[in-house]
Amino acid sequence: MDFNFTEEQVMLRDGVARYLDRNYDFDARQGLLRSGAAWSKETWSQFAELGVLALPFPEEVGGLGGSAATLVPVAETCGEHLTVEPLAFALALAGGALVAAGDNAGARARLADLASGASIGAFAYDEGRGLAAPAQIALAATASGDGVTLNGEKRLVFGAAQADFLVVAARVAGKAGDATGLALLLVDPKTDGVTFTPFRTQDGRSAAHVRFDNVKVAGADVLVRDAHDVIVRLVADAILLLAAEAVGAMSAMMRITGAYATTRKQFGVAIGTFQAVAHRLADMKIALARAHATLTYSTALAEAGRLTARDVSVLKAQVGKLGRAIAEAAVQTHGGVGMTDELSVGHYMKRVLAFESMFGAADYHFRMIGKAA
Amino acid sequence: MNIEFGPELESFRQEVAAFLDVAPTPAIREAGKKTTSVFAPFEQVMAWHKILHAKGWAAPAWPKQYGGTGWSVEQRYIFAEECRKRELPPLLPNGLQMVGPMLIELGSEEQKRKHLPGILAGEDYWTQGYSEPNAGSDLASLQCSAVSDGDDYIINGSKIWTTLAHHSNRMFMLVRTSKTGKKQEGITFLLLERTDYPGMEIRPIIGLDGFPEQCEVFFDNVRVPKSGRVGAENDGWSVAKHLLKHERGGSAASPAMLHAIDRIRHTAQQTPSPFGGVLADDPVFQRDLGELEADVMSCRHFEQLAISGHPMARDAAYPSVNKTMNSELSQRISIMMTRVSGIETVPQQLEALVVGSNVAPLGDDFDLIAMPYYLNTRATSIYAGSNEVQRDLIARTVLAANR
Repeated sequence: MDFNFTEEQVMLRDGVARYLDRNYDFDARQGLLRSGAAWSKETWSQFAELGVLALPFPEEVGGLGGSAATLVPVAETCGEHLTVEPLAFALALAGGALVAAGDNAGARARLADLASGASIGAFAYDEGRGLAAPAQIALAATASGDGVTLNGEKRLVFGAAQADFLVVAARVAGKAGDATGLALLLVDPKTDGVTFTPFRTQDGRSAAHVRFDNVKVAGADVLVRDAHDVIVRLVADAILLLAAEAVGAMSAMMRITGAYATTRKQFGVAIGTFQAVAHRLADMKIALARAHATLTYSTALAEAGRLTARDVSVLKAQVGKLGRAIAEAAVQTHGGVGMTDELSVGHYMKRVLAFESMFGAADYHFRMIGKAA
Repeated sequence: MNIEFGPELESFRQEVAAFLDVAPTPAIREAGKKTTSVFAPFEQVMAWHKILHAKGWAAPAWPKQYGGTGWSVEQRYIFAEECRKRELPPLLPNGLQMVGPMLIELGSEEQKRKHLPGILAGEDYWTQGYSEPNAGSDLASLQCSAVSDGDDYIINGSKIWTTLAHHSNRMFMLVRTSKTGKKQEGITFLLLERTDYPGMEIRPIIGLDGFPEQCEVFFDNVRVPKSGRVGAENDGWSVAKHLLKHERGGSAASPAMLHAIDRIRHTAQQTPSPFGGVLADDPVFQRDLGELEADVMSCRHFEQLAISGHPMARDAAYPSVNKTMNSELSQRISIMMTRVSGIETVPQQLEALVVGSNVAPLGDDFDLIAMPYYLNTRATSIYAGSNEVQRDLIARTVLAANR
């Protein structure tokens, strides 16, 4: 057994880390958000230059032949820097859908542009208060001509308003709850009937709710039919990368909070010398060790093509639960200043809480694990 | 990354499995099923020790030159995993995991020659004389004294939580040989070749589970030879710290925990839910069992990374993280067992728990052990350095990183 990343992965991660250390510290990040930009175009093109954007895609479409799992060390580094670029959403979800479309010409062309950084895509998946599983998808795609017509809404679509293309997960048959009747559709965001309600997320990303009113999708743009299993796979890849970002954020919170408890004095001594505080730090470290172990092991499973639905549930639930625990302990240890927008610690908290709410919260996944052996 | 053990290790697993399927006697298997503690029923576990010794497998972690197997870390994990899967009683840790490795590293040649063979063969059982009524977590304030007298020490005082001392024929202990300077500096580490010296008295303590697992040992002018001293006089604390490292580290805890989860789920499938159907289909039960299982899986991932030599396991806090995590997980498993067993946990069944007993359990095996296991498992967060002490140690590594 070997749970170390390859030399190439380490080099890429270190390259990304060097760039982010120089250009993406917390102040620079906050400045970027104040400027109103959705994310840093310069950082995205740096990712393209370093090969991050091409890494997870097959070589025949201009990729570097890796997978979402190959990107885990990069995603961890991004999480430590609290980046707002839509790495998992554009690459694992939108990009992954294009790969799943096989030799579809439109998908091939967009994939090449995505991998080179020339264009970017968004993946329209969530609905209502969130989907725990793809079978819950309800957005109606009714047959018309050789294609479909979309009517309804997708929520929390990351990078939607900035995207050059949308991949929409929709229902062409059956009802919410059915695993059958799902499709992945390629939609030009400028098509008549597509409207965006853009917003900034709590953790600094850019997303939008997207309405579809009689939006026509041509037959050639139906990327995948019977898409349930494909969507499950894409979501698993996204969970892996977002969990890596969350674990990166958790490592950062551990580091920042340990430093604070060492320097902050009350009653004449460093607060870390009080046992009540020290034990909270210890619990944070135990939680981080567990989350990190599960992320690393899950990554190895994914690389071996052996990551089951149950394993995904373990990863999603553990990182969600332990992330919240570390975040709450971090803010509590910082006291009053932990409550301010000025310090990074609360922003890390918002990152891990956003992760916990998406793709089924911990309670859902715990129940899935407990349900059957 | 590579998640596989590889074909050679898988064939090793088959070799282990083939032996474990046939070697244990029915009494040993029964003892395994009735094990509600880290310490399995004494007579049967020592019988199992001797069988494993005859096969050459008693001391997986010892170097080959001392009679160990010479197995790799992965092989040891596979062996432990296969034993746990079959609910076989784990060999008692005192000799094999504590005194033995310590002697191999720090003992004199004579001490090794004298003591290692008996430990290896399962002929000697070493009880641990560390804690005292007034020295638990603050072990260094121990008072049991040894005064030099020619070639001997004369010991006065008492020791407590000496596990299975009433079955022991050897003892390793910490004594105070000096009262000046720092309290850690006046401690000496002694090996006792007998536990029936004149003036030595062993009194079993009945535990919460109704069994005499722990003992108190009294010393009234007990004369022991100085040849049993490990390290220099007043340097016993460094020996003890070395040994505690063995007590805390090196774990294959998850296989037994996963087995317990399976048993809980299996029992819940046969237990009616007050809301209709069976408990295993109850959403709240599923959620809670799922959370427990997810935590066991994280523990397993941590273990697998550790045996692969991942840098995570080289963190100074690793032994304490491991001890805290595993002890608290076993406690949560024990709570879940009692939750499923319900009122079946209420009858006290001391006779039925004895191996070879002709008293049948009032319910099934699961019900028989749920409450004794729960009660005994309270000790896991107290012994080997209480979890409060472990958290102090972990926090120290967090704070040290910033100094």
